[in-house]
Amino acid sequence: MIQIKNLKKIYAGVAVVNIPEINIAKGESVGLIGNNGAGKTTLFRMMLDLIRPDEGEVLLKEEVVMGHEAWKNITAAYLDEGFLIDYLTPEEYFYFTGGLHGLNHAQVDDYLTTQTDFFNGEILKRGKYIRDLSKGNQSKVGIVSAVMQNPELLMLDEPFANIDPSTQIRLKNMIKELTAKGVTTLVSSHDLNHVTDVCDRILLMEKGKIIKDIQTSPSTLAELEAYFAVGGQTV
Amino acid sequence: MLSTFFQHELKAFWRSKNAGRSVAIRVVMALLVLYLLANVLLIAFFLDKILDKSFPDQDLIPAFSGIVLYYFLFDLLLRLQLQELPTLRVQPYLHLPIKRDTIVRYLSITALLSAFNLWPILLFTPFIVKIIGHEHGASVASLFIIAVLALTIFNNNLALYIKRKSNVNGWIFLAATALVIIIAASDFAWHFFSIRSVSSLYFLNLIKQPALVILPIILAVGVYLFNVSYLKDNLYLEELGSRKATAYKSSTDIPLLGYFGHTGDLVANEIKLILRNKRPRSAFIMSSVLLFYGLIFYTNPVYAHKEGFKVFCGMFMTGVFIINYGQFMFGWQGGHFDGFLVSKVKFADFLKAKYLMFTIISTLAFILTIPYIYFGWHILLVHFVMYLWNIGVNITIVLFFANRNSRRIDISKSASFNWQGTSFSQFLVSFLLLGAAYIIYGPFALLGHADMGLIIMGAVGLVMVFIRSYLIKLLTDDFSQKRYMVAEGFRNKG
Repeated sequence: MIQIKNLKKIYAGVAVVNIPEINIAKGESVGLIGNNGAGKTTLFRMMLDLIRPDEGEVLLKEEVVMGHEAWKNITAAYLDEGFLIDYLTPEEYFYFTGGLHGLNHAQVDDYLTTQTDFFNGEILKRGKYIRDLSKGNQSKVGIVSAVMQNPELLMLDEPFANIDPSTQIRLKNMIKELTAKGVTTLVSSHDLNHVTDVCDRILLMEKGKIIKDIQTSPSTLAELEAYFAVGGQTV
Repeated sequence: MLSTFFQHELKAFWRSKNAGRSVAIRVVMALLVLYLLANVLLIAFFLDKILDKSFPDQDLIPAFSGIVLYYFLFDLLLRLQLQELPTLRVQPYLHLPIKRDTIVRYLSITALLSAFNLWPILLFTPFIVKIIGHEHGASVASLFIIAVLALTIFNNNLALYIKRKSNVNGWIFLAATALVIIIAASDFAWHFFSIRSVSSLYFLNLIKQPALVILPIILAVGVYLFNVSYLKDNLYLEELGSRKATAYKSSTDIPLLGYFGHTGDLVANEIKLILRNKRPRSAFIMSSVLLFYGLIFYTNPVYAHKEGFKVFCGMFMTGVFIINYGQFMFGWQGGHFDGFLVSKVKFADFLKAKYLMFTIISTLAFILTIPYIYFGWHILLVHFVMYLWNIGVNITIVLFFANRNSRRIDISKSASFNWQGTSFSQFLVSFLLLGAAYIIYGPFALLGHADMGLIIMGAVGLVMVFIRSYLIKLLTDDFSQKRYMVAEGFRNKG
């Protein structure tokens, strides 16, 4: 599904991303973890053709991402508020992104009713533009819009940040359901519990490099906690 | 503490991405400010001559005394429209162990640093020193200066108080503006009272009775204290204006655009962008007001038969929105550009939507300018040619430069004195848009074949409309080189 070959991005002489090779198979659910500044978001952005790599390339279904557009038909992503059109109401935004994938208003409405629990009454018909929503609610809009596009590849950057515990659980279930349906998911997070719970493969980034690539097993959480531990204390 | 605040303020100014980026823009801004300053100083130093010409039957000092309050009334109106509240910047300090008094004092003092407070002093001091000081001595002159200063501070605080109040309730702003206009009207139009006589009464008596200087001082101190106590009680972000409690926002559809499919959806989004955000909205309103631009020229017999002016007016009125709004593209969408790039929207469709939107708006502008036919059918013909020129050539020019513009615009900020997103290229674009037509028209007009010039311009415009899909392809290829630079620029806030 995804092939990354010799991907490099250098800012001010420092390689913020430096990945010789990574392959992600269809249907895999991959968690990306690493400390702040490890290069997670930069990697995401290069995979989405938002940043030009200094070297190497990203292939999605054998097609180079850079300069091509076919991958957009099967990819949906939510990285940050920069993905939302903030002067629209959530409904208008869903109609717009749904429309891009051929969904009419009624179909979008149908889909949204299945997300009533996830929205918890905070998003729809509240008479607010997206810019007036809280950060957590904005990220709910972005996540649901991405999932609604029925992608083959879903990329979420720190989706568990800013949202309440119940929504975090709902989001985990949502990702698990998508994985069960064969959707490839790529999720970055600082929450080791969530990420080991949801993902069957974990990539650990440090200073732009992927230093661990592990299939999730019952011991994974302990292994990761040991990596992130400070003076013997774990999270 | 106050000096720390000032240091932060200076750092904020010098380190803001807009200030630091381009030397050219700073030079242009500095020149502009100097030009304004020179104008004010020119008026200030020749105020005695000007007054002498305007009120030939009056002595200088009574004439001067008469106009001071007029100035301050006008000043208040301008401040209400244009002066910015120095508020948002305090947000990072509110939660720190800093006394509210300190913050409020800081707000009140920085408010005095507005350029608005400089004008009255620059404008009146030379006259006061030169004429009043000469006639009545230095002590009376200093009384006048103190009175002017006090009135300045009064206006400053009053305007800020009204603006703060109107953050909570928008009607207050309208009411205050209306009140100032009614006061002006009841003098000029209805003659209920004369501000000039009030003004003269006060300032002429100030010469005889120095104690009267206390009056404006009391007013100034009163409003200042009022403002301070209001701020102290309302030092909450909501009331300072960063986030307002707002009315219910409903979702809307723009039905006709549905016929254009995805492109129509994109246009609908952009129309919402324009109508729902402060800065693009004022660009739009400004463009609508400028539809009256022709009245200035067409009613004036001096210009009535100058063809060149018709070309300019026609281009300007049917295309002002392309210039006003287009020069900052795609910076308006900088806030969600990443989302757009990742979405399924093809860049070609994105461009098609821009063409469509500008064509719709220019067509509307052309229809609205049809009544100018009152000044002769030839004007309508010129307008039509320039309309073709706008939708053919000028839109393309704008989009070509938009591909190169990586300055994001904070669309929620007010437009007045807002230089964000402006760089040398914006001047270049405006210049090109205004001037390009004359490259074709000019030579023909000079050789006495103005109508031939018009025909060729119309033809060029029309051809450009017909080859749009080819132009879109060229622009799309061009953008694929620039996209990373543009997206990177838009990610930089500030």
